[in-house]
Amino acid sequence: MLDFSRTWLPYIYLYGAGGVIFIIGMIIILRARSLKQERVRHNSWMHILIFGLLYYMSIHGFFTFLALGQLLFAGLIALVIIALSVNLIMILIKNSKVVA
Amino acid sequence: MDTVIQTSNYFWVIIFGYFALVLGFGSFFARYNKTTQDFFFSGRRFSWWLVTMSIVATGVGSHSFLKYSAKAYEHGFSSTMTYMNDWFFMPLFLFGWLPIVYYTRIRSIPDYFERRFNPGVRVLATIAILGYMIGYIAIGFLTMGKTLQPLLGLDLYTIIFIVAIISGVYITFGGQTAVIFTDLAQGFILIFAGVLVFILGLNYVGGISIFWNTLSTEFKLPLAHFNDPANFNFVGIFWQDGIAGSVGFLFMNQGLIMRFMACKSVHEGRKAAAFNVLILLPISTVVVSNAGWIGKVISIVTPEAWNASTKLDHVFTQVAYLITGSEVVFAFVIAAVAAALMSTVDTLINAVAAVVINDVYRPIVKDKDDKHYLKIAMIVSAGATVLGAVSTIFFNNFPTLYEAHGFFHSTMTPPLVVAIFLGIFWKRYSTPAAIATFLGGAVLMWIGSKYPQIFISPFDHGIDFNPERPYSYIRALYNTFVCAGCGVVVGLMTTPPSTEKTDGLTVWSLDRARALFKGSAPNDRPGKPVYVKWVLKDHDTNEVFFSINDMEVMGADEGDMIYLSDERKWLGGLKSVHAFYGKPHTEDGIVYLSKDHLDSGRFDEQRKLIGEKEL
Repeated sequence: MLDFSRTWLPYIYLYGAGGVIFIIGMIIILRARSLKQERVRHNSWMHILIFGLLYYMSIHGFFTFLALGQLLFAGLIALVIIALSVNLIMILIKNSKVVA
Repeated sequence: MDTVIQTSNYFWVIIFGYFALVLGFGSFFARYNKTTQDFFFSGRRFSWWLVTMSIVATGVGSHSFLKYSAKAYEHGFSSTMTYMNDWFFMPLFLFGWLPIVYYTRIRSIPDYFERRFNPGVRVLATIAILGYMIGYIAIGFLTMGKTLQPLLGLDLYTIIFIVAIISGVYITFGGQTAVIFTDLAQGFILIFAGVLVFILGLNYVGGISIFWNTLSTEFKLPLAHFNDPANFNFVGIFWQDGIAGSVGFLFMNQGLIMRFMACKSVHEGRKAAAFNVLILLPISTVVVSNAGWIGKVISIVTPEAWNASTKLDHVFTQVAYLITGSEVVFAFVIAAVAAALMSTVDTLINAVAAVVINDVYRPIVKDKDDKHYLKIAMIVSAGATVLGAVSTIFFNNFPTLYEAHGFFHSTMTPPLVVAIFLGIFWKRYSTPAAIATFLGGAVLMWIGSKYPQIFISPFDHGIDFNPERPYSYIRALYNTFVCAGCGVVVGLMTTPPSTEKTDGLTVWSLDRARALFKGSAPNDRPGKPVYVKWVLKDHDTNEVFFSINDMEVMGADEGDMIYLSDERKWLGGLKSVHAFYGKPHTEDGIVYLSKDHLDSGRFDEQRKLIGEKEL
């Protein structure tokens, strides 16, 4: 039996510390109006940025469950990744072709 | 490994044939270098996909195959950690640093420091960045030596000498356009070669089921143990690589920054960066690590086939030799790794030349024509190659390439990374604060390295103290903390810089940076690209002339910036030009260009152009 320091503690630390950096980054670029949500292209970027964080969280979660032999949870996370990806692709298709 | 792998002449014919092909490919595009701007930045013209593939070849350096295979063999799937923790900084990179470097048209990162602070800070930044890049070049050469040593049986430094000459000749004459196009080809080849090794490896061990079931649960976990062992633990690598390394690579790697500045627009640069991190890095991490995983399975399933005395940095070569089963395929894989070296090193040599010319030589030797600076850039490229080769002596003292690289990241990146970060995101960050970051930070880092048990241990997260190499990775956290501490304390105690001084140079004034880049207020009105025929017009301004209707479709006004490119999108912007909209006419589907635009864009008479508003 592997201990917590070997299984989930690194995951929690990675997305705890990394998540704080990510959120601070989002707050800065939104407050500085470097990312303007009213612009179509920037709106797409907002979705991509949030998707990226969830995507990596899902990948690490998926492989941790898979390694631990918990296939049900791994499968559920795989479905979440697919759903997130499809959602993002639909948004990008909708916003494509616009130069702004 | 101690024994020399036997190869025939065919092997070397393939290796040298591959090199000749790649060098020829890059040299073909070197003809697009007319000015130092082209030599370093490729005239700001390329599409995202072209840049992102060339970034793969730069990021997946030759050291990656060897160092990650070594750690993958030792520690399993957690060797992927370093490629999978880059997203946290993407908001700050995509909407902070990238637009700033692009819109301010800085020639180098130290150039930013002079504009944001003063020439003194530029000197400090130049020293730091040159040290960083020369170190990176040295690690690249060392890797190549270690890759070829089991094949050649020659002395390590003899191999490094030969490789350095080949790299130096190529980059000295090629420039950035040659680098981008060579790397484009090599990016595809690298990924293909890595995937090929994985497929052949799975076949060798008897299929994916045997591969998966042979490995232990611990080996298959994607993140390492939190703080054990001292030479490979999660928290140390998070701070060394996830923070110092990732930020260093994204924010202060002049070679990478030059790639983004070669994009046709900031939007394309963002796409290149995002696609790279979301799609290509997860693929790349498997590409560079899988030889180690396969090697571990071979050592368990067929121990008689595995050379137990294989050195960790030779795991990749050993696995590739075993699984390919054909000298031709083995030669191709080794050539791909050699290509990776070229990609990493050529980018950095070009970047060193950019920094030396723009930050050292040009301020001293002013008012020379561009040909003079181009000639000096080539000489500097050759010098950087020599210096990189000599520096391999220092890095060869570390037990593995991974540890050499880890120590290098932990030590070299924090002052510059902290100065860039505070410079971009903190308006109060003043010139004295920047100097304190570099000098005060360096002093405290040195004290920390002398007395690690006193100064670094409070940051160690429970990692064991190894007296031979104390806190190899977690020292990155201490170093970052003291550099940031110096900058913040002095920043709070000194007078903040005026708004005029930081105009367009921080994330808080990006609209101003865009206006300065364009020369007037940006136009963000939505629009669409148009396809037009070009007609030559006798005029000498940087203006192109569209119809009123076409401009309406593009959402453009007179005086806005436009990007015109050949209709063949697969050219990736190689034939393209930036200009301004002139007074509109009434002939829809026609754009009037000057002779200069035609020469610069190399447009074909039979081909239409795509016009899209830039800003």
